[in-house]
Amino acid sequence: MKPNERQPPRDPRTHQPLPPCEQPGYYPGFSTLSQQSFWDAATRELVRKRVHDIPPLRFFTPNESKMMEAICAHFLPQDDRDDAHQIPILPFIDERLHQKRTPGYRFEDMPPDGEAYRLGLEAIEQMARANHDRSFLELSWREQDELLKSIHDGKPWPGAEEIWKRMPIYRYCGLVIGDCVEVYYAHPWAWDEIGFGGPAYPRAYFRLERGEPEPWEVEERRYEWLAPNESVSDPSEPEIATHKEHPPAGQGGTH
Amino acid sequence: MSYNLGQPIGGAFQSPNDHKHHLGPMQRIEAPMRRYSPDEEVDYLIVGVGAGGGVLLQRLARGGFRVVGLEAGPFWDTERDWVSDEKGSHQLYWEDMRITGGANPLTFGANNSGKGVGGGTVHWAAFTPRFHPSDFEVYTRDGVGADWPISYWDLKPYYELLELEMPVAGPAWYPWGDPHGYAYGAHPMGGVGNVLIKGCTSLGIRVSAGGPVAILSGSRNDRPHCIYRGFCIQGCKVGAKASTLITHVPDAIANGAEIRARAMAKRIHLGKNNRVTGVSYLDREGREQFQKAKAVVICGYAIETPRLLLNSACNSYENGLANSSGTVGRYLMAQAGNVVLGRFDELVRMYKAPPAHALTEEFYETDPKRGFARGFAIQTVGPLPIAFAKQMMAARGAWGWGMRRVMMDYNHWAALGVLGEILPWPDNRVTLSDERDQFGIPIPQIRFSLHENDKKLIEFGKKKTEEVMLAAGATEIVQEARYAHLVGAARMGKDPATSVVDAYGRSHDIANLFICDGSILPTQGSANPGLTIQALAARTADYLISQGTKVFNSDQRDMTPPPIRRHLSPPGTHWKGVPRVA
Ligand SMILES: Cc1cc2nc3c(=O)[nH]c(=O)nc-3n(C[C@H](O)[C@H](O)[C@H](O)COP(=O)(O)OP(=O)(O)OC[C@H]3O[C@@H](n4cnc5c(N)ncnc54)[C@H](O)[C@@H]3O)c2cc1C
Ligand code: SF4
Repeated sequence: MKPNERQPPRDPRTHQPLPPCEQPGYYPGFSTLSQQSFWDAATRELVRKRVHDIPPLRFFTPNESKMMEAICAHFLPQDDRDDAHQIPILPFIDERLHQKRTPGYRFEDMPPDGEAYRLGLEAIEQMARANHDRSFLELSWREQDELLKSIHDGKPWPGAEEIWKRMPIYRYCGLVIGDCVEVYYAHPWAWDEIGFGGPAYPRAYFRLERGEPEPWEVEERRYEWLAPNESVSDPSEPEIATHKEHPPAGQGGTH
Repeated sequence: MSYNLGQPIGGAFQSPNDHKHHLGPMQRIEAPMRRYSPDEEVDYLIVGVGAGGGVLLQRLARGGFRVVGLEAGPFWDTERDWVSDEKGSHQLYWEDMRITGGANPLTFGANNSGKGVGGGTVHWAAFTPRFHPSDFEVYTRDGVGADWPISYWDLKPYYELLELEMPVAGPAWYPWGDPHGYAYGAHPMGGVGNVLIKGCTSLGIRVSAGGPVAILSGSRNDRPHCIYRGFCIQGCKVGAKASTLITHVPDAIANGAEIRARAMAKRIHLGKNNRVTGVSYLDREGREQFQKAKAVVICGYAIETPRLLLNSACNSYENGLANSSGTVGRYLMAQAGNVVLGRFDELVRMYKAPPAHALTEEFYETDPKRGFARGFAIQTVGPLPIAFAKQMMAARGAWGWGMRRVMMDYNHWAALGVLGEILPWPDNRVTLSDERDQFGIPIPQIRFSLHENDKKLIEFGKKKTEEVMLAAGATEIVQEARYAHLVGAARMGKDPATSVVDAYGRSHDIANLFICDGSILPTQGSANPGLTIQALAARTADYLISQGTKVFNSDQRDMTPPPIRRHLSPPGTHWKGVPRVA
């Protein structure tokens, strides 16, 4: 992404963009990767690959990739990260779809994941044309964010009714956002950002209580930030349970 | 910078390279495994080496039978194959396609079942409460659900055995159900446990801290103690958390059992005289093989067990093998597993400590004042970042910058899980779809819908858990609907017209076909099912050993209770630990 297209978060006092940095978040200086020689070899190798071996795009065509790239940048924006510290998302989604890996199930009202992604792209393009007479990629950043918000909220802009009849919109949204977070929060830079300690075998954690840091973790140092001017994805009042009539069931294992 | 505390002495940690099969950092499988050829007729062929299958395999091998376990997934070498990583652990889950529907579709994969030796016990959180005596007579007491063909007291000796075999760590005094104590010391508290204790205590709710969980609080034999790294659901590479892979399988192999990994059972064959003759399966190269056996036990989990029976339909059993009652696939249950998340001003860091480390069963029993039958438990959970992000997506509608913001607060959140009893309903069901999987086997289709009692129970359980979270000091709460722990779908009962197997897991229809996994549960209580599944397997094993060769050459159904064989426990487990009250 070119720097002049960036939509970085803002300083709440000055409303000026905060300069993109190596490591956003409240744990400055924390680095899980700095601890990797304390990890077991299999984990070290897995995380090394994740950081350094970015899979090639094989599922999406070049045109689809451009559009997906833009969509991922809205569902999981990274404009606060400098160019050298962007976490690649699309290549890993592409790899999953290319390898036809599933999460182990498909909702009976959903097409297979790969088809769902393609239908989604079609729907988004149709919505862009129906409402702005332009292709999705030609919309302004704000317009793109608003279009995707309408999908997220389950109140899609007109233009793709046929597709949303074939594919429940809230399931599509859960699929794509779910895949984006699965890639982003698997990256050690994201662990540093949120202060997650990361792998801990064979070395243990031993400060279990009161949220206290291990000697190699750091204390939290909070700062205030506002979402970018053009963004509509960070409501001051969180919209709890956007789909009251279809509360999506959890996908992750817990107890 | 303060975090850089140097390097481990001697350089980065490496994997052992002794070319042995490792189960945890210290345990090894030393001797080569016995192998049977497919046309050798074995005594028992076990399909699926998970919670139920693992214990049964070990017991039958010790009992002197010739046993083979077919397992669809790999035989893990934990040092080589497992990682301390959330995304990198998908291979542990059953991720073959399942089609899900109904009014409240269940999600599978990481949320529900395992694949590979150890099955679901590889990635379970290892909460191991017993069922309550009331669970065995839900119909008699409440007029809903079903009664079991056995009582709590029939199973109690097996609970006691398995609690030592895993072993289970917990408090010296556990006040609910049939009160008892645990022989192995309870665990220290993590951030989420403290939230549960604080919230419960301020509301006058009793709480159990530090267990019961099948996680070692101190090292024992060749298994190290817990290092509180919080990756239980990703498979415990440390070997502190019990799984049948490390607790029962090594002893099974030492006693002559064979485990045939990456062998996917496709069809059970029925021969003459209404007896099964063996199982056809796809081996690791995808070739179809047939293993002959005198008796077959299915232990494939509440989806794959009915799937295999339905796919084994034949002329004598057109609607599925052992399905003359029409109940194979029906009465599938999942527990309500709603997660209530609370944000605290202070830091929690919920990724530390095992997710499972404290709970309350104060609301377990029916209370007529609440307006619904049965109850629920509240338990600690500790989602890692990806699971937490998905919860924020579902529960709070987080996306974009909203997602980035709430995730930066990950360390301020704590999560508590409701574990609620959903009743068995005939329309909650596993059937075969028209689509086929990579082996050419029909993909299962699952339909799941909540009924009135379930909905009331979940509403109440959710509210109560939210109260606890607020009482602990949370300043913001959200909740996510979730279902977990599938059981049922081939239930046991006294009446062959309304159940699939009898009190020992023998199918009513076919005398040498058994089921020994969670699918035989008639009701599920609000205790996690893993301990009960393994206790039932030990009981079935005692029965089969008592029956001797009668199972192989007679259709006679002898229901005499077997003696309890305590000497069949894996070595060094029985009569160990500190004896406690009760
Ligand atoms: C995230 C998570 C957390 C959990 N936490 C807890 C907990 O804290 N406490 C608790 O008690 N329970 C917990 N559970 C549930 C527990 O894991 C299961 O209830 C239990 O493992 C089920 O036992 P089972 O014997 O029925 O099946 P499994 O343990 O699933 O074993 C079935 C085995 O059969 C194999 N198999 C299936 N079909 C075939 C076939 N056709 N051919 C060959 N092999 C086959 C499978 O690969 C598998 O290994 C949890 C589950 C999950 C997903
Ligand atoms: S927290 Fe303990 S039991 Fe869980 S994975 Fe870590 S060492 Fe194993």
